[in-house]
Amino acid sequence: MRLTTLVILCGACILPAAVARAHHAFATEFDVNRPVTLEGKVTKVELINPHSWIHIEVVGDDGKAVTWMIEGGSPNALVRRGITKNSIPVGSELVIRGYGTRDGSNKAVGRDMTFADGRALFFGGTQTPGDAAPPQ
Amino acid sequence: MKTAAALTVVLLVAATAQSQVRSEIPRASNGRPDLSGVWQTLNTAHWNLEPHVSDYPVVLELGAQFAVPPGQGVVVGGAIPYLPDARAERDRRFANRVAEDPEGKCYLGGVPRSTYMPYPFQILQNERDVVIAYQFATGFRRIFVDGTDEAPLDSWMGWSNGRWDGDTFIVEVTGLNGLTWLDRAGNYASGSARITERYTPLGPNHMTYEATIDDATVFSQPWTIRMPLYRIVDEDFRMLEFKCEPYAEEKIYGHLRKPGTGPSAGASSQ
Amino acid sequence: MKNPTYSIGVLAIISLPLVGCAQSGGEPTAGRTAWGDPDISGAYAEFTTAPLERNAALGDKEFFTAEEHAEFAKGRLEQQFDADETEPGTAADVHYSMGQFALSENEGVTSLNLRTSIVTQPKNGRIPPLTEAAVARRDARAAARRGKEFDGPEMRSLTERCIIWSSTQPPILPRGYNSNLQIFQSPGYVVVQGEMGDPRVIPTDGRPLPDNLLPQWNGTSVGRWEGETFVIETAGFHPDSAWRNASENMHVTERITRLDEDTLEYAFTVVDPDTWAEPWGGTYPLTELDGLLYEYACTEGNYGMANILSGARVGEQKAAQQ
Repeated sequence: MRLTTLVILCGACILPAAVARAHHAFATEFDVNRPVTLEGKVTKVELINPHSWIHIEVVGDDGKAVTWMIEGGSPNALVRRGITKNSIPVGSELVIRGYGTRDGSNKAVGRDMTFADGRALFFGGTQTPGDAAPPQ
Repeated sequence: MKTAAALTVVLLVAATAQSQVRSEIPRASNGRPDLSGVWQTLNTAHWNLEPHVSDYPVVLELGAQFAVPPGQGVVVGGAIPYLPDARAERDRRFANRVAEDPEGKCYLGGVPRSTYMPYPFQILQNERDVVIAYQFATGFRRIFVDGTDEAPLDSWMGWSNGRWDGDTFIVEVTGLNGLTWLDRAGNYASGSARITERYTPLGPNHMTYEATIDDATVFSQPWTIRMPLYRIVDEDFRMLEFKCEPYAEEKIYGHLRKPGTGPSAGASSQ
Repeated sequence: MKNPTYSIGVLAIISLPLVGCAQSGGEPTAGRTAWGDPDISGAYAEFTTAPLERNAALGDKEFFTAEEHAEFAKGRLEQQFDADETEPGTAADVHYSMGQFALSENEGVTSLNLRTSIVTQPKNGRIPPLTEAAVARRDARAAARRGKEFDGPEMRSLTERCIIWSSTQPPILPRGYNSNLQIFQSPGYVVVQGEMGDPRVIPTDGRPLPDNLLPQWNGTSVGRWEGETFVIETAGFHPDSAWRNASENMHVTERITRLDEDTLEYAFTVVDPDTWAEPWGGTYPLTELDGLLYEYACTEGNYGMANILSGARVGEQKAAQQ
């Protein structure tokens, strides 16, 4: 006796209700009252678990360069789509909108991350804040 | 003539003994040696790959229980051929090993260290894959038999492509992230390293394990370690779980604890 | 596929009775390994449209019709996309973009499952209520943590501590992302590994569970073949595991059967009289994943734990200064 299964290929599929839950609750790590917008050059890319971290060098108004770490998601699904360790070259300019850590350090979660020219980080489409365009 | 006959007899006996050894090696249905089973090393390589005398425990109050036992070393040729700056870095790591050795943080041992950590590992084999489950920190490797793909990403356990050469299973490991150590004495390789392992059965319960480390950013030439692997033959042996993450928590996060509190086991739930 | 709206690109319907149980001892549905066991090896997506528990309004209705299901799945899709569109400046907006990391899409393949829930036993498709003893244990754990949730790492959840992701221990259940499983086979063993979990090396010779079960986060598993079905018995769970408030006496039976070349069936039963007055269980399909599973080294990259604790310390200092 078999289960009838319909196998579907679709550009945007379904997640269970626990979608927003990562391995930890973000509100305990980051501060909604500390929104940040950052522009900087990539110095290091850690495509790691449980969360990726992209390091950028931000030059302040005083001309001083400060390193920020920006948190993203697990890289495993990206790798299945062909992303490699070279996909975000060191030196690329990024724009980040996000929220800083509660401890006040130079770390933030990247709510939206793009290259400075508007291209999405991983799949080439254009993203604006809040846009959940699916990968191609 | 008698001598020739005697010599022939000796040679025949030797050949028979040799083929008896070869025929005692367990084989898979495709004729290749079957590496399956639980294995472990019996040496002090996890303390120090190079020859070493016994030494004090890294924390003195732990006394003789945690002193470092002596070892002849497992490096073919005796010493690891570090470049001068790299040897200084090795010595720096040795001096800071309590703080910096990833093993203490329950980080995965990588390759080749996972092989000679003092804990068992289980090899499982079919024609497409050989997988190895290591007891320490539930490390796991998948070795693609006749695989040719390159690592898309660096990882702690690396990317392994294996192939058979007679009765030897050769594994090329790349894509290591350079964050593991080679032992507890600060020996290390970088993320540029290519490791070539060779697993050669000697008989039903023994294998020779070799690993060649090729990393021109750290060493003046490739070098090799060699040691036996011993099959675990205990009756009803089960490889028990060694998830050491909780045991490393105070070490990693203790400095961020709320002042006045101490670690309390068993307080969490999912 | 560029079309962001829900659309059925390819429908492959296998016209067979809609009953979810796999018969043991029936016609072979799988190829064979070189040593003659049914071949269940491969990489699989656990993701399925059926929720864990059935909507109470559906009562004992076990299956949707195809039309009902299309409506149900569409509704869930719209709901989930909203999850990635959060309003800036709200607490809900404090997260990375799931879409950017290809996590709003389950690898492009979802098994559309006409079932109304994963849980099939009891008949209402919902997990039975907790016993009084289980409620007491749960409340005691919560009381022990109250006011101390950020004191140290041991106060955080098992997933935050990178000890175990609950849905990767038996019984394995789908979760938000990296909801994938791989199965290796070699003579005498089956290895089951969730992408964010530990490898479980399970003997296939039908041996019983050992008498001296040493508690483990993944329990201890033994297996046997019943015709086309691999049956796994697991017991001896770590007392701090408390999977869905279970006790350490929980016993899980899993049954894995190949249905066709792309699909396995994963069925499970949970028995723990200290926690649920009756056994309960369910089933869902595992769909062949086009890709590999990759390493999930959690504790090695756990910056999050340090950030959570340091943030709590800064918060305490600020409060003390006021």
